[in-house]
Amino acid sequence: MEPLGAATARAEFVAPATPHAPLFKALIERIDVARRVIVLDLGAAHSRTLELFGRFRCRIEIVDARSDIESLNGVVESPDLEAAVAALLPQAGAEPLDVVLCWDLLNYLDRRALAALMAAVAARTRPGGFAHALIVYLETRMPAQPGDYVSLEDFRLQNLGPTPAERTAPRYSPEDLKLCMPGFAIDRGRLLGNGMQEFLFRRKAALEQGNDSLARSSAPRTKSRAR
Amino acid sequence: MFERGKKDEPGRTIGPRQGLEPEPAPWTETARGDAPGREAAVIGRSIQIDGNLRGEEDLRIEGDISGTIQLHNHSLTIGKDGKIKADVHAKVIAVDGNMDGDLYGAERVSIRKTARVTGNIVAPRVSLEDGARFKGSIEMDPEAVDAAVAKRQPAPRPAPSVAPTPTIVAKPAAVVKV
Repeated sequence: MEPLGAATARAEFVAPATPHAPLFKALIERIDVARRVIVLDLGAAHSRTLELFGRFRCRIEIVDARSDIESLNGVVESPDLEAAVAALLPQAGAEPLDVVLCWDLLNYLDRRALAALMAAVAARTRPGGFAHALIVYLETRMPAQPGDYVSLEDFRLQNLGPTPAERTAPRYSPEDLKLCMPGFAIDRGRLLGNGMQEFLFRRKAALEQGNDSLARSSAPRTKSRAR
Repeated sequence: MFERGKKDEPGRTIGPRQGLEPEPAPWTETARGDAPGREAAVIGRSIQIDGNLRGEEDLRIEGDISGTIQLHNHSLTIGKDGKIKADVHAKVIAVDGNMDGDLYGAERVSIRKTARVTGNIVAPRVSLEDGARFKGSIEMDPEAVDAAVAKRQPAPRPAPSVAPTPTIVAKPAAVVKV
C-alpha cells in the first residue's frame, strides 16, 4: 500500500485559471507615459483594459475579432481574405500602432487567415512596436471559442468566458509563427502556468524584413514540427 | 418656437442677464439612470427622425435617429430602445441602446452594459461597463481629446451687429432775404 503522501504527490496538475503573464507586464511597463501610444485590441472591450491604458496618453482601437474568426477561416480567395481582414482593422494610413493585444485569438485562425491578419496588422504597426499573444503549447485541446481576457491588477490574465466545449489546438510552434508572421520577430517567449506560451513579437524594420526574405529564399526548405 | 416651461421649469435659473444661457443646475443622477443633468426631454420609441437634431436642453432618446445630434452644452441619454445612426456631440453622453456613429463628449461618455456601440469615442472621461459590446476607437490622450472637442464646439455666436448710426449733417438754414 502506498503512503498517502505519494498519492497526493501524483495528483493531477491543475493549471491556474489566471496565470501570471510576465511578458504582458514587461510590455506595459515599457510604455513611455510621456509619449502618445496607439493600441490595437483584437479582443473585446473591457473596463479593466481601459483602466490599464487610461494611465497613458493613449488611443485604443477595439476590434473584438472573436466573432469574425470563422468567417476569416472560411475565405478561399486571397484577395477576399485581404479585404475581409482590412474591413476588420482600423484604416491603413492612420497613426501607426505601438501595441497589439492578440490574447489567444491566433490559436483559432488557420495558417492562411493568421498570415493575412498579421500581415495587415504588421502594415499598421510602427517598426519596433510590439504584439502580445498567448499560444496553446502543452495541451492538444483548447476551448472551442476564443477567450474573453482581461489583465488583473497584478498582471495575471483572466479569461472571463471560458467555454466547456473543446476543439483541437493547432499548437503553433515558434517556427510556424515566424513563417506566418514575417513582419514580426519573436522578441521573447515564455511558458505560462496554464500551459500556454506567452509571446512578445517585435515589428521588424523594413530593412530587417527584406534581409529575412532573402535568407529564406536561399535556405533549404525544412519540415514543419511533427505532432 | 416652443418655449415650453421655461419660466417655471425646475432646475432652470434665469439670471439677471435675461435671455442669456441659463445657469446649469447641479448634477443629479435621475431615477432612470440617465446622463446626469436637468429633467430631460424625451424622444419616444415610436419616433423616427432623419436629419440634424440640435437642442439647448438635456435629451433622452428611445426612438430611431439618423443624421447628426448636437447638444453641445447638455446631456444626452440613448435609452435601451434607442437606435442611433449619427455622430453625436454633447457635454455628457450615456448609451444604453444601439449606437452606430462617433461620440464626442465634452466631459464624459458612459457605455452601459446593455449598449451596442460601433464608432469612435472622444471624451476626457470614458467608462465602459462589462457586458457592453463596443467596436471602434477610444481616444484617451488628453491633448488629442481637447483638440478634437474644441474643434467640434460650435463657434461663439457673433455679437449682434449694430446698425450704423445715421450721420446727421446740419445744413445751414436757408437764408431768405425779404
